Parts: sequence; structure tokens; C-alpha cells
Amino acid sequence: MKLPLVLALAVLLAGLTANPGTALAEADPVRKKLAEAILSEGGEQQQLLNELADTGSKAVVEILTAWSREGVFIFTSADNSKIPVILEEAEDSAGKRRALRIEDGQALRDSQGSELRFASSELAPADTDMRLRSVIQQALDTLALSMGAPDSRRSAALKLGNSQKIRYLPLLQNRLSKERNSEVRRGIEEAVALLELSGTDARTQIEAIRHLGQLRAIGCVDNLKSTIAKKGCAPEVIAAGKEAIRSIEDHIWWVNFFGTIFHGLSLGSVLLVVALGLAITFGLMGIINMAHGEMIAVGAYACYVVQNLFAAGFGFSVTLPFNFFGRPLHFGLHLPGINATGWFYETYFLFAIPMSFAAAALAGLFIERTVIRFLYRRPLESLLATWGISLAMQQCFRMVFGANNVQVNSPSWLLGHFTINDVSFGYNRVFVIGFAAVIVLATWLLLTKTSLGLLVRAVMQNRTMASCLGVRTARVNMLTFAFGSGLAGLAGAFLSQIGNVGPSLGQTYIVDSFMTVVLGGVGSIVGTVCSAVGIGTTDQVLQQTTGSPVTGKIIVLVAIILFLQWKPGGLFSIRSRSLD
Amino acid sequence: MKKHLLPLLAACMAFAGSTICKAADTIKVGVLHSLSGTMAISETSLRDALLFAFDEINKAGGIKVGDKSYMIEPVIVDGASNWPLFAEKAKQLLEEDKVAVVFGCWTSVSRKSVLPVFEKDNGLLFYPVQYEGEELSKNIFYTAEAVNQQATPAVDYLLAQGKKKFYLIGTDYVYPQTTNLILYKYLLLHGISLENIGGGLRKDDSGKVISAGKYTPFGHTDYQQIVSEIKQFAASGDACVINTINGDSNVPFFKEVAAAGLTPADCPVVSFSLAEDELRALPTKDLVGELGCWTYFMSLNTPENKAFLGRWDSWLKEENHPGVVKEKRAVDSPMVLSYDGAYLWKAAVEKAGSFDVDKVREALESETIYFDGPGGKITINKNHHATKNVYIGETRANGQFKIVKSYDQVFGEPFLLKGLDEKLAAK
Repeated sequence: MKLPLVLALAVLLAGLTANPGTALAEADPVRKKLAEAILSEGGEQQQLLNELADTGSKAVVEILTAWSREGVFIFTSADNSKIPVILEEAEDSAGKRRALRIEDGQALRDSQGSELRFASSELAPADTDMRLRSVIQQALDTLALSMGAPDSRRSAALKLGNSQKIRYLPLLQNRLSKERNSEVRRGIEEAVALLELSGTDARTQIEAIRHLGQLRAIGCVDNLKSTIAKKGCAPEVIAAGKEAIRSIEDHIWWVNFFGTIFHGLSLGSVLLVVALGLAITFGLMGIINMAHGEMIAVGAYACYVVQNLFAAGFGFSVTLPFNFFGRPLHFGLHLPGINATGWFYETYFLFAIPMSFAAAALAGLFIERTVIRFLYRRPLESLLATWGISLAMQQCFRMVFGANNVQVNSPSWLLGHFTINDVSFGYNRVFVIGFAAVIVLATWLLLTKTSLGLLVRAVMQNRTMASCLGVRTARVNMLTFAFGSGLAGLAGAFLSQIGNVGPSLGQTYIVDSFMTVVLGGVGSIVGTVCSAVGIGTTDQVLQQTTGSPVTGKIIVLVAIILFLQWKPGGLFSIRSRSLD
Repeated sequence: MKKHLLPLLAACMAFAGSTICKAADTIKVGVLHSLSGTMAISETSLRDALLFAFDEINKAGGIKVGDKSYMIEPVIVDGASNWPLFAEKAKQLLEEDKVAVVFGCWTSVSRKSVLPVFEKDNGLLFYPVQYEGEELSKNIFYTAEAVNQQATPAVDYLLAQGKKKFYLIGTDYVYPQTTNLILYKYLLLHGISLENIGGGLRKDDSGKVISAGKYTPFGHTDYQQIVSEIKQFAASGDACVINTINGDSNVPFFKEVAAAGLTPADCPVVSFSLAEDELRALPTKDLVGELGCWTYFMSLNTPENKAFLGRWDSWLKEENHPGVVKEKRAVDSPMVLSYDGAYLWKAAVEKAGSFDVDKVREALESETIYFDGPGGKITINKNHHATKNVYIGETRANGQFKIVKSYDQVFGEPFLLKGLDEKLAAK
């Protein structure tokens, strides 16, 4: 008598501890029960599903999910018995897939023992209807509460809380006693309070409301509001509710406040990174550099090329649209990739950063030697020439990389975010703030603490005088322009992580760059930093207060125009004795 | 001897004459798309789909009118993403080239700009791209998705998934504005309360809502603030986002969504302007599980679609039209609806027995003209819109969609606002 009981317990335990990796291949009672549940009907089915919800098995999650999406099929065998199956993901050439039995996860075979294959249209899907799907969903939610990453456990708890079904209460309380992660605990507490809130007992409701207020549960404001708006709600409940809502809304205000400051800093950093190169080429050197945007694009494309070299390689072939002595001009290049995977592939971005600097610096060097060095005394002509260069470069990007945008994947360590007291900080945004700080510091050190920096400043302030004193001005010009272009390249590497990489990338940022440099005061690095952060923060604050992304930008632009009327030299105008 | 030769020779000549004469029976058909400028990326694919349809029709013997067969001779003009130029080119096609029909336009503004030309010259236009509705010209047939064949089915699906809060976001122009206004009313009608429709409302002086949702300009790049707003909106876990952002602003938007940790499981985003062709240029890795809704998906697992894709691939290999890109091609709904349009017109001409616009229109309006296209049966209705299947798909990492829901044979209804207003008033 005792033996079967022990056996049953052992089997149950085995089901509970089933290793998720091999769960599909095991013949366990959980899977049997699943198969049974699929074939049964009505109350029995519901009962079985409720039991399955307590198993914590990954196989159950997979199959229930498939079932609710009509991915479970019924195969009727020759002897008219019904076998529930799922179809494997992989298709063969005829579009057919292997059928796996729910019962044991093994492939379905015919009487000769060869595997049966089906297209999904050949089998009848296991019936689901709205009611059944919601039962399945509840089972899945229960399972989700105990499995997976903290984030998904937390959102599963909140989902149950929002369901307003009091029967989840014991389940959640039970889970609360086991859960260790503080974020998830907070989520479950919220969910418990929400469920209690949906009850009718005024005292429990008040306690739940107070609890929610203490938890500062942002997601619960709607529920609180609808609760106190209900007819016949006790006045004490309304008072408590109002207080809780006030404290949560205060909290939201602070979250938005810090969030906006962070967004402003990050937008400011983007502007700073983008404008810093221009602060050198335009600010220090006085070249109205319309090709600055394309230098950014060079950096972004360099990032794309490095990414591809870490994967399958990079190749292009270009046929020029004109003939050269009767022959079509054709050239191409193929660089083999190293097919890196996993974490090694993810490090590609670390290599891409110096590469994008180098690529843009080289491009800048080339342009300086071929065009710009003839135009140092003619700023208006430098505007036209660099504009021409920018158009030519855009066409080059189109020929080599195509007119469509290219994909630059973000490494996983730049995706995601962390949360402090409900303010979320994206890794990529934190990265750009640090990145901007580092390159500003490096630029400042280079210009003020090195002998090269001294020469640069001397040449930029008075070319003729510096030349008289024996400085090789041509070389300094060349290096400075290359350095400015390289900084633009770094901006490109970063922009590839938050936006599009395409031939017209540079056009998007050229106006912002000039705006930042001019506002900051031409020739002043400190000014560029202040104006970038200032514009960024003002823009975000206005966006937050006006609620429209466009109005904020318009107000910022108008403010800049007015400011420049008042102080044409910008925030930090450099007083110079040079007469040019 | 000579006596025998002469009739033989005459017979030969007559035969030769007849074949020459037969080969000369062509009918001019206009293709009016942007082949340069911003829209070229999307619109050149539609030209390719049309050329493919024409080649197929010609190969199968052309269009049979009475006892004659006519070969299609495409006249391709470039609208250059320049809306007034579209009107000029339409005029040229209708008045100088005297084409029997025009297939073309992508943006609603280009369609609005050619509309008066088609009405004045009594031309015939087939329009293939999802649009906002609220329009019906006697000279235009819309194979495009109407709002009730894309936006409202998607909302139905999300409602069935238990979503209770909807955030509306789009690019600031006529299609997203109109679609969101319709959706706003549709949601109110389905019991979604005002505060659960996110993105903000704009009212005119009389307090009537004239715009719903959040709008950003074309090419917008900074979505931090909006995404953090969505995140708070979605904190309760039963929210979703309706995305009508157009063009490459989708990249910074989705990158920000991914960085904020908004997953499709918590807060799915359903996009109406992202099909397979657009996904080629997007980081699909960040989009897995987000939703799309169209009347055709390339991943559609039907024999018709597989055969169609096979024919398309071999056509790409063989064809020698100038400017057709051969590598890495995707097929999407606007392309298939262009293709369907060519066949629907052919069927109508054959039924009418004439290329005359009025007769072809009469045939199309008879509600008997249909075509078994790659996306399923498509029938033209009296209201110049089509009845066809609607599919909802989840984005996969390979840039394709996994179909999660289909609605069979949905009737295309262009005028929704008035009906919704009346129902809301009754409520």
C-alpha cells in the first residue's frame, strides 16, 4: 500500500526538478498529464491545467504557449486513437516538419518505425477557445512567477495583481515567502496589495492602499483612481486613496525630474561628441567645414566594417557610371571575416572605436592635403569647397555601401538598463556621458598640456607669426584638421549605437554641430561643452513640460537666436588681438 | 511552275504580315513611382513587382480582348519623390502616352496630387499602399489596405490579448494623424477610457478632439523622453504601443525601446509602416516579437505564395530591365498588392472586352472581378476597395514575420470616421 505512494511522490519530485535542458526528451508524468489535458474537455481539463501550473516545468511552459497559439496538433492514428503532437521548428525542403509527441517528446513514427513529417496545414490544431486560452494563460502566469529572470518574474506578478482575481492571492503570498530578489518582492507586494484592493472589505482596502502608497507603485495609480471613483466607496477609503495617489504622484514627479536631467545630460553628451570635432576644425582653424557630417559618417561606416570583419567579412564592388577609354571602370574589395561569436564578437565595438577615429582622421588628412590647405585665408571658399566634398562623399557611401541604411548591431553590454528608485538609466546613455567626458578631457589635455597643443594654439592664433618663429605651420594645420576629423569619427562610432547609419547620416547632425559650436563661442572648447549640455538639458526639460518633441526644439532655436543677438560671440567669446 | 509559286509567295507574305501585325498589338500601361529621392528606396520595389507581373502576363499570351491579344508595353516615369511632379507625370502619361491604366503612388500626398489629373482626364489609377481612407475617387481603385484591414484588426488582436492601455505614436503627417484619430474613436467605442489612450490629445476651440497621439517629425532621432513616458504608461503591465512612425526614425525608436527594457511580452509595439522590405534596413535583432499587420506576408505558408516566390526568384535571375536590383530582395505587401492590381485590371479588361476606362470601371464595380493572389483571394468591391485576407505577424530575427493570427476575407471600408462618430454619439 505504501509503495505506490512513495513511487508517486518520487515521480512527482522528478517532474518538479526536471532539468529544463532535457525536459523535451523525457517521458515523465508531467508530459502525460499535458497530453491528457489537451485531449480532455470542460472541468476536467481545467482541473488538469491547474495542476500543471504547479509543476514549474519548462516543457509545460513551451507546450502550453504553443497550444494557446494553435501550435499543438492532434494526429489521429490508424486505430483512431488521438495523439497530441507539436511540430518542430525546422522545416525540410518540402516545408514539412517532424512531429513530436507531447506524451514523451519523441518523434511520431508510423508502424514501420520511420518518422512522420507534416506541414502544419495537414494536421488539425488542438481546439482552443477564448475561455480555454485564458485558463492556459493563467497557468502560464503562475509558472512565470517562479521561473525565469527577475524582470519577467516581476512583470508576471504584476499581471496577476492586475487581473483582480482574488484567487491568485494565496499563490502570490506563497511566492512572496520564497522570493529573495528585492525588486521581485516589491512587485509581488504590489500585486498582493492590488488584489486586496479589489476586495470589498473597507479595512483591508485601506491597508492595501497605504501599502501601495508606501511602495510608491507607479503602475497602480490607475487602479487607485478607479477604486476611489467607484460608487459606494467608503469615505475613509477615498481619503486613504487620495493620500496614496498624492504620494505616488509626488514620486512620479521626482522620477521625471531626475529622468529628465539624465536625458538632458545624455542628449548634451551626444551633441558634445558630435560638435567637438567641429570645435577644432571650425572653432580653432576657422574652416567652415560643411564636410564635418560626412566625417561622422566615415566613423559610423568604419564601425560597420569592423563589425562585419568580426562576422562573415566585408566586401563591395563598384562599377563607375562612366567609361575609361572605352572600358567600364570596375573595382571591388573583399576582406575575409574572422567569424567571431559570443562574447568575442561583442568586443568588436572596442576595436571599432579606435578604427573609426583612424579612418576619419585619414580621410581628414587626405582632404586637408588636397583641398583645404589652399583655402586657409579664404573662409567663404572653404565653405563651398567642403560642401562639394560632402556631396561627393555621400555619393561614395552610396556606391560602396548602398543607398539603404546598414545595420550596426549594438553589443549586448550596451543594451539594457539599470534602475535606481524607478529612474532608469540606459547603458548606452551612461556610456555616451562617460565617452564624452573622456574625449573632452583628452582633447583638453592635448591642447593645453602637450607641446603639440602649444604649437596648435600658436598656429591657429597667428599663422604668419608662428611660421616666422620656425613652426612648421603646414604640418600643424594638417595634424589639427586630421585630429578634428578623427573626433568626428568617434562621434560616428557612438551614433551607430543609437541611430541609423546611412549615406545621409551626416546631414542630420551638421546643423546641430554648428549650432553648438557657435553658441559656445567659436574657438572655445569650454564653451562647446557648456552649450552642448545647456542645449541638451533645456531641450529635454521643454519636451517634458510642453509634452511635444517639436515645440521644445523650436523654443531652443529661438532662444539661441535671441541670445546670439545679444552676445554675438557666444557664451565664451575669445578676445584675440589678431586682426583676421 | 510560276503559277504555283505566286500564290505560295502571297500566302507566305500574308502569314508574315499577320504575325507582324499580331506582334504590333500592344497596349500602353503607365507606371508612376519615385525612382529617385527619399521614397525611391520603397517605390522602386513596386516598379519591379509591376514589371514582373507584366512580363508574366505577356509570356502567358497577353491580354485577350475580343479575339485579339494585346501585349503590355510599360511606360515608366519617375515621380522623383516630388509631389507636384507626380501630377505633371500623370498628365503626361494620360494625355501624351495615352496609357490605358496607371499603377503608382506610395505616399498619400502623391496620390492626392495626381487625383485631380485622373478625374479631369478620366484616367484609371491602381493604388497599392496602406493608407488612411476617407477618400473615394471614381478614377482610383485602391488595392491598398484600408484602415479596417490593418489598424483596427491589429487593435482587435491586442484587445483579445487582454491589453487595456494603448499608446499612439506616429510621424507627423496625414496618414498617422488620420489613422490615430480613427483608432482613438475605435478604442473609445471598445470601452477603453480616455486616460488609457496615451500620447496626448489635441482639441480645437469647441473641445472636439482633432488629433490623438504623440507625433515626431520625419527623421527624428531622440526618443528618450517619449520612451520613458511609454515606460511609465506601461508600468501596470497591460499596455501596448501603436506605432505609425514612418521611415528610418524607427531605428532610434526601437533602439531606445530595447534599451529601456520594454519587451514585447510586457508592452508589444505594433507597427503599420514596417514590412519585410523596410526590415531589411533595421536591426531586426532588437525587434523580435514586435507585431506587424498586413494583407500579405512573405512567410505565408500556402502553395500559391510558394509558387509565386519561386517565379519571382527565377524572374529576377532572367530579367534584364535596367535598374532592377537582384540581390537580397524581399517581397512585401505593397509589392504584392501592386502585382495583384495588374492582374485585377487584366481580368476587368477581359470581362469588359475593351480598354475603355468607363467600361473597365463598370466591370470592376460589378464585384465579380477577383484574383487568387499570393496573399489569398482579392476581390474588388463596388466601393473601389478590395476584400482580402488580413494577417498579424510577429517579427523574427531573420526579418520575416511569424503569422500569429489571420482574418479571412475582410471587406475594405474607406469611410470609418463618420460611422464611429455616430456610434459614439449613440453611446
